[in-house]
Order: sequence, then structure tokens, then C-alpha cells
Amino acid sequence: MPNLFILTLQLAVVLAACRLTGELFRRIHQPKVVGEMFAGIMLGPSLLGWVAPHLSAYLFPPSSLGFLNALSQVGVVVFMFLVGLGINPGELKKESHAAVLTSHVSITAPFVLAAFLALYLYPRLSDDGVSFTSFALFMGSAMSITAFPVLARILAERNMLASRLGTVAIACAAVDDVTGWCILAYIVVLIRSAHSSTSIWVTIGGILVFGLAMIHGVRRLLRGFETAYRKKGALSENLLALMMLLVLASSLLTEYLGIHLLFGAFLMGAIMPKEHRFVRYVLDRFETITVTLLLPLFFAFTGLRTNIGLVKGPQMWMYCALIILVATAGKLGGSTLASWLSGMPLREAAGLGTLMNTRGLMELVILNIGLDIGVISPALFSMMVIMALFTTFMTTPVLRLICAKELDESSAAIATKPATGESLSLNETEYVA
Amino acid sequence: MSRTSRKFVVAYILLVGLPLLALAGVLRSGRTLSAPLSVDGTWKIDVDAKSIASNLCTAALLSTPLAISQSGKSLVVSVGKSKTESGTIEGTTLTAAFAPGADPVPAGCNSDQSLTLTAVVNPKAQPRSLAGSLSVVGCESCAPVEFRAVRQPRPQGGGAH
Repeated sequence: MPNLFILTLQLAVVLAACRLTGELFRRIHQPKVVGEMFAGIMLGPSLLGWVAPHLSAYLFPPSSLGFLNALSQVGVVVFMFLVGLGINPGELKKESHAAVLTSHVSITAPFVLAAFLALYLYPRLSDDGVSFTSFALFMGSAMSITAFPVLARILAERNMLASRLGTVAIACAAVDDVTGWCILAYIVVLIRSAHSSTSIWVTIGGILVFGLAMIHGVRRLLRGFETAYRKKGALSENLLALMMLLVLASSLLTEYLGIHLLFGAFLMGAIMPKEHRFVRYVLDRFETITVTLLLPLFFAFTGLRTNIGLVKGPQMWMYCALIILVATAGKLGGSTLASWLSGMPLREAAGLGTLMNTRGLMELVILNIGLDIGVISPALFSMMVIMALFTTFMTTPVLRLICAKELDESSAAIATKPATGESLSLNETEYVA
Repeated sequence: MSRTSRKFVVAYILLVGLPLLALAGVLRSGRTLSAPLSVDGTWKIDVDAKSIASNLCTAALLSTPLAISQSGKSLVVSVGKSKTESGTIEGTTLTAAFAPGADPVPAGCNSDQSLTLTAVVNPKAQPRSLAGSLSVVGCESCAPVEFRAVRQPRPQGGGAH
């Protein structure tokens, strides 16, 4: 049984820390999510546990972490559903050659560079319980991910969603995330099947059947939600509960099939109807409690698992710097090069590269999966969390530095534009923390 | 095929196709790499009865399982409430040092002693096992406590680390 006093105290402390830090970061022109990620780290062994170990042990006793984790995972399941909901396959179909090239290079460049880095890091930060292939593929997918929701939030805050840069960035980030999650699903299957009696082909077959059934069967049935919304302008509590039930069922199925709960939630969101008002309505129903209460718990839980003290000595910090360098060179450099070669002006291309380098919360989700399945070590986990914080933190100032002119133009255009349906699509991404 | 499409295909091959080939090469060459032995996880300790009799104070520490968190060659080893910051694994030999005073000690025992754990891992055993000793630093008269340990299965869906 959970100690309710401790659990409630934890909720209060995490909530207060995240709101305060989020607000502080907002004042220095950073998305609130970056502040909340920092708050999580501060509550863990890297700061609170180091400065006040007794207080830390009282607030977060090991016996309570299971409940905190369970609550935070519920939050991430709903969050992944919302991320999937925000991805519109129709937008991806509209991609030009430039966007296709940019999005694919923004995956392959960091992926390949990460694999090269894995050659160096595997003997130093891994162990023989993990195969090199799993290690390298995980490093690749962790470095090639883009925080689609954080990126959308940054673009919305800078009034850049409707710009060419914004449109291409959103399309590329969506492609990156879908691809990244598919690769990660493969890695999870690969690793779990090594410890399971079920053949990997049975697992892969089951996943394919599940995916096809969802895309070609369940997707059609989900249109009923949109029809009901159109008729009444709202969904009944029963229908909202049914929607959440379907998310949970899909999550359970993917977990049962040997991948992770989160894939099912993401897929259910991705196949939901994409009509603007319907999407906004569903986001409004689910985002508040998820973003304000449950996701901060995930940040706190991630922070409790992140021990920057494990990154000790010049050698370990050199590995960390190398990870940041490779992640940035691959993502920022690769995206910039591809979009510039596709005809985008260099300054705009660099802006796109900077946006694509945002990793944020999605990186933390992936890293937690990696630590759970044992493909990365605690020290490497901490280094990758530092990389996620660094690359997310640098986005706004670097974007302001590179694209000051584009930002000014976007602001001016929005200021003179009458309120239209466009404004709805700007708000659409504001669900993200 | 138009000029634009041709340019796109060439750029795609150069920027996506070739890196993918490089990736395949990296994955292939990486298979020959070796990483340190995996000792991460919880180990069930079995202390030799003679050792317990000869050093009750040190043996008391080994009444709880051994927990190891591994990052490459660096280890964080926990025995009871003691922790080390300097555990390492070199080949099959595991060494760790425990700072004094972290654990409540049985009556009559000295809590200000530093301890050293040395063990040899048997990589071929399934589940993996190790044999070693826990000794008091700087105490010539204290006999080391010999022990054997077997790694416990990892929790379902949970991580190695």
C-alpha cells in the first residue's frame, strides 16, 4: 500500500517545483517544459540528494518510487496519445521534395554519427549484457528524435507555425518522431525477445497484424467520435471514457506484444480523426491534468533516476561533451545541410536545423525506456539527459540569433492578420508543456 | 525525369543512401567489440559458515543482497546501507571500497572501519556467479569474510540497470 501522506507530499513538492522553475524559465524566454525538466533534475540525487540527503530520503524513499513511477507513466501514456493526436498524416503527404530530403537526412545523419560514436562508447559505458547492435541502434534513435510537441510550442510562441520554416519543421519533426518510434519499437522487441521464450518473428508478426488492424480497421470506427462531436459540438462523458479505454486497450496490447505501452497510446492518437476543432476539443479535455500534474511527476521521476554525480572525472565529462557535439552536429548540421541543398536560404536552413535539434520531453521518454530495458547504463542515461536539456535549452537563443529577421516578419504578419481559421491551428499545439 | 527530380534522387542517394550503407558497416564492425562483463543487478549472497564465525562484525554486512549498478567498468556497489563510489570491474575481477560508518553495526563492532570487496566473476555460469571476500582495511588480525553470490533474475520488463 502506498503511504498516502508521502505520495501527497511528493505531488505537492513536484508540482510547486515544476511551476516555479517553469515560470522562471519562461521569463528568460525558454519554453516552460525546459524549466520543468530542470526542476525534475533538481529534485533528484544531482541536487537535492546531494545538498540535503536526509530531506531527499524523507521525500523520496525508495519504497515510494514505484507508486510515483506508476502515476507518472499514466501521465506519459496520455501524453503520447496527445502527441499522436497532434500528428496529422495529411500534413506529411503535402511534403515537397525538400521536406522529404530534410526529414530523412535529419534522421540518418544523427543516426549514423551516433552509431560511429557507439563504436567508441560501447566498450567504455556499456557491458556484455547488451549487444553492440542494440546499443548502437538505441543511441541512433535517441539522437535522431525531435521533440515534436516542444518544437510546435516554440514555433507557436514565436508565431512561426504558418511560415515556410515552421511548416517544413513540423512536417520533418513528425516524420522523425514516427520513424524514431518505429526504430525504438524494433530495438525493444530485439532486446525483450532475447530474454523471452517467444520467437522474435511471432512478436514482429503480432505487431504487424496489430498495426494493420489499427490503421485499416479501428481507424474507420474512430470516425464515429468525430461524427458525434459534429452533431452535438461536444462528446459525452461516456464517449470520452470510451476514448480513454481504447487508448488503454491499445497500450496494453502493445505491451503484451512485447513492445512498450507508449507505442499503443501513440498509435491510437495517430489514427484518431484529424479535424481541427475535434482535435482541439479532445486536447482541451485531456491536456490540463496531464500537463499540469502527471507530466511533472514524470520529470521528477526522471530526475530521481538522473545522477549527474555518475558523470565524474574529466573523462566522463569528455564523453558527455562528445555526445552533445555528435547529437548537435548530426541533427542541426544534417538538417541544415539538407534543407540548404534543397534550395532553402542558408539562414533559414540553419533555423530549421536548430529547431530540429530540439529534443525535450520525447528524448526523456525514450531514455527512460532505454534505462528500463537495460540498453543504456545509469551514467550514459545521465549524460543523455544532459544532452537533451542542453539541446532543448539552446534552441530558443540560437533561433533568435539566426532567424531574428524571420521572427520579426512572423510577428508583424500575425499582428496585421485578421482572426481566421489559421489562428485555430496556432492554438492547436499549445497543449504541450 | 525532370531536372529537379534527378537532383533530388542524387541528393537522396548521397545524403541518405550512403549514410545507411555506412551504418550497416558500423553495425557489422561493432560486433567484434567487447564490453566489460555485465555484473549489474542484485546478487544473492551465500557466506561461508567458517567466515561468519571468524568475523561476525563484517559478516553481518553480508546478510542483505549485494546490489550493483554498472556503467561500463564503473560500479556502484551496495551492501546493506553501505555504498561505494570506487567500484570497478577489470576483466573478471571486481573490486569495491566501502566508506566507514554508513551501516548500523552489531553491538561490540567498530563502525569506523573501511572495507574492501574483491571478487572474481564466473562469466560462463548461468545465472552469472561470483566468489570473493570482504575484508577490513588496515586490520591484519581480522580475517576476510569469504562469500559466493549468484545474480538474481531481472524483473519482468524492468531494466538491467
